[in-house]
Amino acid sequence: MSDNEKPKLKLAVYWGAACGGCCVSVLDVHEKLFNVVAAADLVFWPIALDIKYKDVEAMPDGHIDVTLFNGAIRNSENEHMAHLLRKKTKVLVAYGSCAHMGGIPGLANFTTKEELFRRVYDESESTVNPDKIRPQTSFTVPEGVLHIPEFYNDVRALDQVVDVDYYLPGCPPQTERLVDVFMAIVTGAELPPKGSVVGAYDKSQCDECERKKTDNKKIKAFKRPWEIQDDGETCFLEQGVICMGPATRGGCGVRCIKGNAPCRGCYGPPADVTDPGAKMMSAIATMIDSDDEDEIVEIVNQVADPAGTFYRFSLPGSILRRKIVQTV
Amino acid sequence: MEEIRIGVYVCWCGTNIAKMVDVEAVAKAMREIPGVIVAKDYKYMCSDPGQELIIQDIKEHNLNRVVVSACSPRIHELTFRKALENAGLNPYMFEMANIREHDSWVHTDRAEATQKAKALVAGAINRVRWHESLDKRSVEINPATLIIGGGIAGISAALEIADAGKQVYLVEKQSQLGGTVAKLDLLFPHLDSAQQLIQPKINRAMNHLSIQCFLNAEIREVFGYIGNFEAKVYQKDDLETEIQFGNVIVATGLKPFDPSKIDQLNYKRLPNVITSLELEEKLLSGNLVMDNGKDPKHIALIHCIGSRNKNHHEYCSRTCCNTALKYSNQIRSAFPDAAIYEIYSDIRSFGKGCEELYTHTARQDVMFLMYDQKGEVPKITEARHSEKVNMMLEFREQLSGEHVEVPADLVVLMVAMEAHENAKEIAHAVGVSMCGNSFYIEKHPKLDPVATTTGGVYVVGSCQSPKDIPDSVSQARAAAARIMADINFGSVEVEVTTAVVNEDICCGCQTCISVCPYTAIHFDAEKNVSVVNEILCKGCGTCGSACPTGAIRSRHFTDKQILSQIEGLMSMQLQH
Amino acid sequence: MEFEPTIVAFLCNWCSYTGADLAGTSRMKYASNIRVIRVMCSGRVEPTFVLKAFREGADGVLICGCHPGDCHYHEGNYKCLRRYHLLQNYIEQMGMDKRRLHLDWISASEGKQFAELVDKMTQTIKELGPCQVKHSVETLT
Repeated sequence: MSDNEKPKLKLAVYWGAACGGCCVSVLDVHEKLFNVVAAADLVFWPIALDIKYKDVEAMPDGHIDVTLFNGAIRNSENEHMAHLLRKKTKVLVAYGSCAHMGGIPGLANFTTKEELFRRVYDESESTVNPDKIRPQTSFTVPEGVLHIPEFYNDVRALDQVVDVDYYLPGCPPQTERLVDVFMAIVTGAELPPKGSVVGAYDKSQCDECERKKTDNKKIKAFKRPWEIQDDGETCFLEQGVICMGPATRGGCGVRCIKGNAPCRGCYGPPADVTDPGAKMMSAIATMIDSDDEDEIVEIVNQVADPAGTFYRFSLPGSILRRKIVQTV
Repeated sequence: MEEIRIGVYVCWCGTNIAKMVDVEAVAKAMREIPGVIVAKDYKYMCSDPGQELIIQDIKEHNLNRVVVSACSPRIHELTFRKALENAGLNPYMFEMANIREHDSWVHTDRAEATQKAKALVAGAINRVRWHESLDKRSVEINPATLIIGGGIAGISAALEIADAGKQVYLVEKQSQLGGTVAKLDLLFPHLDSAQQLIQPKINRAMNHLSIQCFLNAEIREVFGYIGNFEAKVYQKDDLETEIQFGNVIVATGLKPFDPSKIDQLNYKRLPNVITSLELEEKLLSGNLVMDNGKDPKHIALIHCIGSRNKNHHEYCSRTCCNTALKYSNQIRSAFPDAAIYEIYSDIRSFGKGCEELYTHTARQDVMFLMYDQKGEVPKITEARHSEKVNMMLEFREQLSGEHVEVPADLVVLMVAMEAHENAKEIAHAVGVSMCGNSFYIEKHPKLDPVATTTGGVYVVGSCQSPKDIPDSVSQARAAAARIMADINFGSVEVEVTTAVVNEDICCGCQTCISVCPYTAIHFDAEKNVSVVNEILCKGCGTCGSACPTGAIRSRHFTDKQILSQIEGLMSMQLQH
Repeated sequence: MEFEPTIVAFLCNWCSYTGADLAGTSRMKYASNIRVIRVMCSGRVEPTFVLKAFREGADGVLICGCHPGDCHYHEGNYKCLRRYHLLQNYIEQMGMDKRRLHLDWISASEGKQFAELVDKMTQTIKELGPCQVKHSVETLT
């Protein structure tokens, strides 16, 4: 125990189906890491510390104060660890877009396990697999039976597997927001109601966005960012470029837009929005500047990939959750 | 949060619902749904005892929400809201499930209809859970009234209101007031003079201190809402006048059907085939002759031209039978020896004194011949030179079943009455709906026949459907009375189911602003949020659907309410 | 036993709901597979509602508004039309047959057309078979 009166927080960071960016965003606290370490003990963080699963299993229930769980649930290992950490943790935070809504790995819900395996193990240009060997969940070797996790057909967000206390969105979350939340916990500030999104604003991107916005949101043609001569000042939507900003919480510091790229929606929807993609489709379609059905169809068809555009980070967390698997 | 306590009432509507829907089973199933405290079925929920049942239950069981499953909410939603109010509950804590028009009346399998009723009521229960109390709002009434159309209906309404001392703007597109009546000679059933009837009224309207008449004038767009409208009156030479008013009466009348659409009548090709209104001109001028200046000896009146036929208008134009009977009497007076033929399909001489007119006419040596208006109208051809008349009419006479030929020197086509070609523009300008045949739709065909679904806008006279003078005048004066009541009260309650912006969520993207057809949303640049003017808002909800942030809520049609209704509906699946 | 689909319909208050009421008062008969939700204007119908209906087990979704040019709120039906086409593209990408979502115009006087529309849509959905959205979500593996 330190000279501080209060016991230090026990903090864990874990990744499910993730790219690693979320863990890096935690590292990005840079010199503030000292503040973190002063206030908390990192009891489990596979990317940084050599602590085994069995060590976690050995912890008493509720031993960990806060777990930042990043990544989606893609296989049986992710799911097992989600359940385990839920049991061992007082405050479980879905950290980053993948844990929040399924994220980029969630786009795999446009396909199936079988289609993915076929591509990866049979068809890909770099694969040589004449015997068409596929991964097995268990395999007997002379030393005994080896087990590897089962790859699921569907990607899930964390709260579709276990109870989640808070959501800290972003791909990855902005480190400043993490520090805000962390310091709030450390200083014993009153926490928002369970289920809240933390580390993001109530208002969406446009509130912070410095581009000029008017009520002239009328779209005659949808354009890809490279198709416009962006003046760097006019609202993307008013230039015909789909920007998820209005349907996406602020908190990231409008980084993409400041970099002259439209918002893709990683911070997820504002409160009370059931399905961010559907909301944005509704808004975008309303802006189409035509009452003629044929012309409307022509303009709508310029949105090359509606599902991928409007649900880039949120497919598993959306109403439909995945592309339909046809059963006969 | 308060405990949800819902009362559910399933109406039998006599046998209208109970015959096809097992109302007891529906009520029983609803009792299983969490939050439902009582679920009852009753013979007539809209009756006084039915409403009393709800009121008593609200008090006894401390209900805070009510669902009635009965007829269409378009009929009795207000009735039941009133009942809730009487029991001290906010009227919006109510939802209706339509198990009559949308269920018992349209289905034939009792099990299916019952299952559907369960689904509809379960949807309503799930929806009402999320209902919120809404407070009534009222707006002041500008005491001026705009009347569009200066025929008998428009003039009657104008005089009624102006005589009460209130300002009227009377806008007429022709160069003089009087409309159709001013073009008539005598009027049925008493053959009194149309001119003696209308001219004094025209003079009075033109000279009334409280009536400002605009002739050769039109209204293109009306802005605002009940109590507070404004518009520009456009006249010749780009003359524009801005006016403000609290109510609108649309009295734009009708126009005659063009019979040249029916080839075999040879209208326009045969000079002595004329329409009823053209006959009126001849009668008014006292010059009832053929094109060659001679007196006609054989005169045929053909009824139902353009009416009651699916190729033209399916409706009955209502005034033409009596008008034709009137003509027979006028012609008989002018030519005691002429042969007069009424070629009719059914004589519809309803109305006070009108059947008597028919009986009287039948004694005037007029020949009544029946044709089938659903089939072909009589064929009119030029007579051969050897004949002593100039035309021949051929048709199948219905009563004898024989093919007959009728000689005629003059043929009068009793043309249908139809909506004006610019009925649609006026409908858009003032915000009223039209039915399939372009006549305006009243708020309720029986109980609210002159109001429309737009508050402060009334439709009177023949723009609503073909009418005679007494009916037009009655409607005009009824609308005037309605308006006077509102003016006297000084204010009127307006729709509260408007859109509202949550300023804590609104990000200032301004998507909603151009979406609103009523320019009810403006942008507050200082706060960087959109703001809804709730007086201008008519509650369509389109902005709520366009808002990408979820900041705009459509009151009484919130996402939560509709999504929950869907869940409720789908909780009672069809039995496979 | 023959598959009996469930169809959720969103009808605007002024035209389509009134038209459906007229079908009732005229005692026209049509398939009982439809469940109606009343909105003030077809412009209120959001993609979220449609997707929610499918998710809850609807086999088809019908949206009806006033005829173009006749919207009680001037142009709400055009907003609906635009959303409808974008949503059609989305549901198709999600593996659904576009015919499961249908938009049509029904005026207050078109009771007969409404009855015929319901029968026609019911038949179409019967031919398509049950919608797999709910099943798909309930059996995630």
